[in-house]
Amino acid sequence: MKKIADFILKIGEMDRRWIFIIIALVVLLPLFFPIGLPIRPTDSTQTAYDAMDDLEHGSNVLVSFEYGPSTKPEIHPMTYAVLRHLFKNKHKVYITCLWPDGQFMAEEAIEEIAEQEFNLTYGKDYVLLGFRPGNEAVVKGIVSNIRKLYSTDARGTLTDKIPMMEGINKLADFDFIFTASAGYPGTVEWVQYGADPTGVPMSTGVTSIQVNEVMPYVQSGQVKGILAGMPGAAEYEKLVGIPGIGTSGMDAQSVAHVVIVLFIIFGNVAFFIERQRQKKY
Amino acid sequence: MTFGTILGAWVAVFLTLAIFSYLYKDNPFYKIAEHVFVGISAGYWASMFFWTQIQPNLFGRLWPASEYNADSFWYKIYNGLHVLTSAVFPEGGIDKGHDMHLIYLIPFALGIMMLLSVSSKLSWFARWGIAYTVGMAAGLRAYGFLNSNVIGQIKGSAMQFVGGDLPFFALIGNSIFNNIVILVGTIAGLAYFYFSKEHKGAFGKLTKLGIYFLMISFGASFGFAVMGRISLLIGRFVDLIDYSKAQYNHATIWILIAMIVLLGYNAFKDRGKNTPVSEDAA
Repeated sequence: MKKIADFILKIGEMDRRWIFIIIALVVLLPLFFPIGLPIRPTDSTQTAYDAMDDLEHGSNVLVSFEYGPSTKPEIHPMTYAVLRHLFKNKHKVYITCLWPDGQFMAEEAIEEIAEQEFNLTYGKDYVLLGFRPGNEAVVKGIVSNIRKLYSTDARGTLTDKIPMMEGINKLADFDFIFTASAGYPGTVEWVQYGADPTGVPMSTGVTSIQVNEVMPYVQSGQVKGILAGMPGAAEYEKLVGIPGIGTSGMDAQSVAHVVIVLFIIFGNVAFFIERQRQKKY
Repeated sequence: MTFGTILGAWVAVFLTLAIFSYLYKDNPFYKIAEHVFVGISAGYWASMFFWTQIQPNLFGRLWPASEYNADSFWYKIYNGLHVLTSAVFPEGGIDKGHDMHLIYLIPFALGIMMLLSVSSKLSWFARWGIAYTVGMAAGLRAYGFLNSNVIGQIKGSAMQFVGGDLPFFALIGNSIFNNIVILVGTIAGLAYFYFSKEHKGAFGKLTKLGIYFLMISFGASFGFAVMGRISLLIGRFVDLIDYSKAQYNHATIWILIAMIVLLGYNAFKDRGKNTPVSEDAA
């Protein structure tokens, strides 16, 4: 028993760089050799899907991009899956960005999904209104008068000349809001200044680290479901029926989690052994 | 594939591996990537802010093309600015669909005051801009928080405990048992932050229960944080695998080899010197 305890303590002192290498390997290997672990949609993802699926065809949906390259692996698969779902149901999509780099993400997503996959027409089926600085003040601006804030779209076209902007003057003219958010400003600001004051239903996709912050709004019904990090994206991809980056990353995600849990258990065992020995001597 | 795309892939691979190299130890590759990131971010943000807000929504409202009159004093100033830079102030006024609103001179002045903070003598002007921003943000947020976080959350925690068609117990979703747990957790959690009464006796037990609920919440946050970091790692690895293909001239493989050789040579040169792993490398 003492030998095992000594061994655990000795391993506990190993260079942390070994842990980095182990984590890198357990993430890399499933990417090369997929296991195909099953993906089951959680209640929160199903609620978000149902909320968007229940919209009448041709509804006006505002999709807001609040993320950049640093959180792309988590959020981008969600926006792809959500855009596929919205375009499949013939909704009109209006894209805004509260983050400057969100505009790049939006351009990439619409090029791939709207133009290449669905062959849709810009200005008729979807429009990229683009980024405006001002954080929550931008949301307030959209609530009161979107045309005052967005006199032109991201491509410099006057919004008055964009066909699908007809009848769109304020947030209340939209049927649904979906925010893809990685922090501030993001989902919380859309709830506080957009959805709650106007009553327009909204759903969201957020980074894993934000889930605990946003979950109270989901439980109270202020937000219709939530896509939580990469697993949320994978679940939404399953519901839409088109597997993407989210699905392919889930094997690596699951294996890495098992290894991290083992590390935590191991670290705690080493801690208790050490504490017991200190008490003894 | 264009030369630009391939070059972009090589740059992306270099920057990714340079940042990862910090896990080995602080080194010049990491420093390069760090400085490039900070510099490009600052430049990109400044450019985006200027071209999406200041030029179209501020200057566009001060000198709109729709009210252009070359003989007026106001537009003579504009024409002077046009001589300086025609990209920002194009000929014949700025056509961004706005009418003239001279009230926007106030935020323009406040913005200039903020910039004066760089001068030691005139930095006090910046207080006006900061005061306006803080006041505006406080007013705006007070409403948002009261409406969504106080009233909305109180409404959300008003739950059903008896009657109706709720099951007594469900592992996931609504049930009487889960509603009781939320009620007890909310009260116990709030009680923990009540410091006007000493945490002793029955109240002490309630606050201790509150700590357990808080710990569970922190544990969940930690779990989600780990999940997020692993997702980001997966994203970078997916890109690195893509860029290791022949169409990108095996960018990942060449840069990885070059970096290992250079870091190895550096380590060989510095052998004997005590260079511990940075404490932040985690």
